[in-house]
Amino acid sequence: MLKRMVLVRMESNLMVLAPPVGRDRIISDFPKWYTPEACLQLKDHFHRQVRAACQEQRTGTVGLKVSKVVVLGDLYVGKTSLINRFCKDVFDRDYKATIGVDFEIERFQIAGVPYSLQIWDTAGQEKFKCIASAYYRGAQVIITAFDLADIQTLGHTRQWLADAQRENESGSSFVFLVGTKKDLLSGPACERTEMDAVHLANEMQAEYWSVSAKTGENVKAFFTRVAALAFEQSVLQELEKGSCHAQIRAGASISIRREESSVASQEGASGSSPGCC
Amino acid sequence: MEKKPSPGKEEGEGGEEEEEEEEESGPEGALGKSPFQLTAEDVYDISYVVGRDLMAITGDSRDVATRVTQLQFKIVRILEMLEALVNDCNVTVEELRMERDSLRKEVEGLRSEGQPPNTEEVNPGTNKIVVDLTDPNRPRFTMQELRDVLHERNKLKSQLLVAQEELQCYKSGLIPLNNSQLARRDPQALVTSPSSSKGGKQEKTIIRKLFSFRSGKRT
Repeated sequence: MLKRMVLVRMESNLMVLAPPVGRDRIISDFPKWYTPEACLQLKDHFHRQVRAACQEQRTGTVGLKVSKVVVLGDLYVGKTSLINRFCKDVFDRDYKATIGVDFEIERFQIAGVPYSLQIWDTAGQEKFKCIASAYYRGAQVIITAFDLADIQTLGHTRQWLADAQRENESGSSFVFLVGTKKDLLSGPACERTEMDAVHLANEMQAEYWSVSAKTGENVKAFFTRVAALAFEQSVLQELEKGSCHAQIRAGASISIRREESSVASQEGASGSSPGCC
Repeated sequence: MEKKPSPGKEEGEGGEEEEEEEEESGPEGALGKSPFQLTAEDVYDISYVVGRDLMAITGDSRDVATRVTQLQFKIVRILEMLEALVNDCNVTVEELRMERDSLRKEVEGLRSEGQPPNTEEVNPGTNKIVVDLTDPNRPRFTMQELRDVLHERNKLKSQLLVAQEELQCYKSGLIPLNNSQLARRDPQALVTSPSSSKGGKQEKTIIRKLFSFRSGKRT
């Protein structure tokens, strides 16, 4: 979505510039997994090619890209709370069912490159499924959430994932399984549920995380991990398209922008108005 | 009871000359009527006519007289049964007529009271519900309306985020002020829904339309 915005801005001779991101949205080292027993990749550094591309600013349109993340799961497992803790750093005790869908946009700077996630919060209530499911398409990341204190919600994540995968090409999305409300459980109780969850995560080819929106435990680390994995995939896809091609395009757009902005300022100085249609 | 002429017809009768005058529309006429249109009076007329004829026969012969007397009792019995049937039928009709009138009054009463009490008794059929418009928790919008409102809300939210970001760019000096006019030329709406946008003008009014309907209802 932002991608479109920025491209539109380019057409209207604006500089492609985004305001700086918050310090806690800057990712320079590759974020770690939660448990090695259920994680999407074990390495603790960016892919060599990705690192190089970022340093040489050969990331093409990745900086303009907004990756789509969908959060699914039963009602009252805390999907909205999880997103609100990360995006707004707040926690509301009162339960308010999400109607249909909502979204937040989080901007990052990863390995020096701007990157954005559009996080879609979906309603867990059955009656809104027909509306929310229309937003599953094109998800780079699928997050299935369950309540660590309600084992039934863990079993249902399988169905939620199937629903989301039906709308996406198989294997095209990263899958995360997230246990919420970690603060409600004692250490041993949490570990017992985690064992089941890790087992299911492996079946689903998902990465497992335990979080608490109330205390904020692991919330930032989780989304940072999500952003880094999505970013790396985006850059690799861009490089696959042809690094040469991407380089030329990036170079060309920069030079065009410079030209046009200078033209625009000249026009402004001479008083001739640029056509408004 | 067999020999009573109908009271309505007594007025026109001249006492002695009963027979001749009544032949056309008098007691004899009751025999020509459809059995389903008979009244109790008609039955009395018939019994009078039959009784009179029997009397005439008994005057001729004794042998005949005993037979006719036997016959007479039978005829009386038939007439009694007929009387009972006709009376019963008329009572039923009268009961039904009263029932109809009272129901008619009830319907008129409910109609004049207005719709609300009436709707509660309406059975709309399977898979349908009756909505009480005064219930604050009643369902208000269809799924399609909700879908449209969410689509529009998402669009507006993304526009807001873009505007906020742009504002931040100006505030931090990333975009020089002389570019501001060009920034305003950026009219393209952002689409964040799964489906592509439809007619722009119509979409802009969905939320307003739905909520103005609600506020209109309240006043």
